[in-house]
Parts: sequence; structure tokens; C-alpha cells
Amino acid sequence: MVGHIKLAGLIPALLVIILPPLTLAQDVNFGVSPAEVRISDLPPGNATEFELVIHNKDEIAHNFTVTTFQPPEQERREGRAEFPDDSWISFSSPGIEIAADSQANVMVAIAIPQEQKWAGRDWEIWLGVACESPDLLGVELYVRCLVSTAGGKLNIGLFIGSAVGLVLLGCGVYYYFRRRLKSG
Amino acid sequence: MKVAITSVVIPIILALAISLPALAQQNSTITITMTGLNEISISLDKTQWPLGTVASNTEYETSPQIQWCTLTVQGTCNVNTFIVGDDAKWVSDPNTYKWTLSNDGTNSEHIYGLWFRISGDTTRGYVPITKTQGEFWPYSGGSSLAPGDTKQFGLRLLTPTYFYSSRQMQTQITVSAVAA
Repeated sequence: MVGHIKLAGLIPALLVIILPPLTLAQDVNFGVSPAEVRISDLPPGNATEFELVIHNKDEIAHNFTVTTFQPPEQERREGRAEFPDDSWISFSSPGIEIAADSQANVMVAIAIPQEQKWAGRDWEIWLGVACESPDLLGVELYVRCLVSTAGGKLNIGLFIGSAVGLVLLGCGVYYYFRRRLKSG
Repeated sequence: MKVAITSVVIPIILALAISLPALAQQNSTITITMTGLNEISISLDKTQWPLGTVASNTEYETSPQIQWCTLTVQGTCNVNTFIVGDDAKWVSDPNTYKWTLSNDGTNSEHIYGLWFRISGDTTRGYVPITKTQGEFWPYSGGSSLAPGDTKQFGLRLLTPTYFYSSRQMQTQITVSAVAA
């Protein structure tokens, strides 16, 4: 009797599941440009923006989403650190519908807070563009976004020149007082 | 007179000394470089694998086994490719029941395994798909994929040793690419 009950419970457990929906198979085909964006000398406290172009090469319209993605260290370009805060990056539209064989632009804005600790840094973050789909297989394309902030490196020539000027100014003041004292 | 001049000159010198490092910092003209006008693009010729009803603790493979789907690199730049999986969720109520994707391709109660195998990848054979993004085509040896390259691959599903019956489950595998 116990054996029958166990078997009755087992049979339904063996007969289930459908993985993806039973609809016609489709391919997925789209592109994003540029593949890599390099932003240099962005001062803390400033913002900049650029455009991503998403090209839906499919024969039907698709919804696309744009998000940020922190790549693992080994995937980043040499010398690049993790981007400190995803919230510094915003998109004109994080989701967009693009008609068949058409393209659309998404504006990406990057704003660095005004704190000196963010000066002179080299970061990398990826911008992921994915085609929304309930299918088993999906595609996501990443745009490498390389951001370098300004202000961390001293211009040695200007610094030395300014220091020499400062010393000369000090000497001038000193001799001026000496002459005044002697003449007085 | 002497005191008056000193009181003017010394603050000027001090102000200059403090502001020098700031003056010496490099110009801040923001430069944005779009590397060429490169387009990144890959395509898959198949996105669905309708399995129908499956049994517990059983392996299912796509047919043909490792030439089931073709990934084609389009666009104008070389790419590194990745693959990542996810838990399989009950379509009717995704928050209440799921099969957890194992991190090594094995199975257990309510835990399932997913694998992929690329035609021509003789060293790795079937590779587990996990929830952590892993290499699709092994590029770490310097072999990124170039525009026009194609790679055929297949999938293997290992169902849980036990699961609740009569529930339609759905999962997603994402193949991704970044400029090499």
C-alpha cells in the first residue's frame, strides 16, 4: 500500500515542464555603435553626453533595453578601474521600441560629482543593449565606456615656471625693501 | 609705510603659493572619442528550444547536438563572447516556484543543469552554463572572433531529480559580446 502511494506521487513528478514557449523559432539580429567610447579629461563636477545608435536588423519590431554593467576585472582594459557608481550614468530612454530594419539613438549622459577624490582617475564600465524577448536564447551587446577624469596630474613645466616666478617675485620684494631701508 | 607694503605683498605671495598647484593642473577640455564608428553586432539563427514534456533526472540535447544554433559575428569589430544562464521560473507565477540553475551543470531536487558545446571546441567539450557570465568562445588565449566568423553550438539540459509536476517552466540564456 505504501509502495503504491509513493509511486502515485512519483508519476506526476516525472511528467511535466516545457522550457520555452511553443511558438515559431526566430533569429535575433541587431547592432550597436560605437563599440567603444573613450571620454578624456572630464573634470569632477562636470557632465558630458554622447549617442548610442541601435540598429534593429530584424524583420519585426523589437523592444530594446539599455543598462550599465560592471565588467569583471580581467575583462577591463589595462589600467582601468571599476566605475565607482552606476547612478552617475543616465539614458534618455532606458527602453526603446525600434521598428523592423530601423535604427534609433539613445543619449547617454555621464556626470561626475564635484569631489577632488574623483580627479585623475581611469575607469571602465560597459553599457549593455539587450533585445527583450521571452525566448530561450537572447543576445546582449556591450559598449565599452572608458572614462578618464581631469585634474589629477600636475603640469610639471607650468608648476616649475610658476615656482621660479614666485621666487623671483620674493627676491624683488626683498631688494625693494633693502633699497628703501638704505635710502631711508 | 614698510608695514603697509609688507601687509599687501605677503598675502599676495601666500595666495599665489596656494593657487599654484591649481594653476598647474592640466587643461580640462573634455574629449570624447568614438573608436572609429565601429558597430558591434552578433546574430543567432535560433532562439527557441521547444522541449515539451520532460521527465525528472533526464538529459536532453538539442538536435543536431552541436550544430543546432549558429552565432555569426557581424558589425565591424572583433569581439569577445560570453554566455550566462538563469533560474527556470514557473510561467504562471514566477515568484513562487523555480528551478535553480546549478553552478556546475549537476542537478538535484528543484536544481537543474545547463550545458553548451561549440562545434570545433575540442578542448572543452560540454561546458556548464551558470548564473555567472563565462566565456562562450574561449578568447583568453587571444582568439577573439572577427566579423564574418560563425560558431555553431548546441545545448544540453539536465532536469532536476525531483520537481513539481504540471508546471510550465521558462528560462533564458544570454549570449553577449564586447569589442575585443
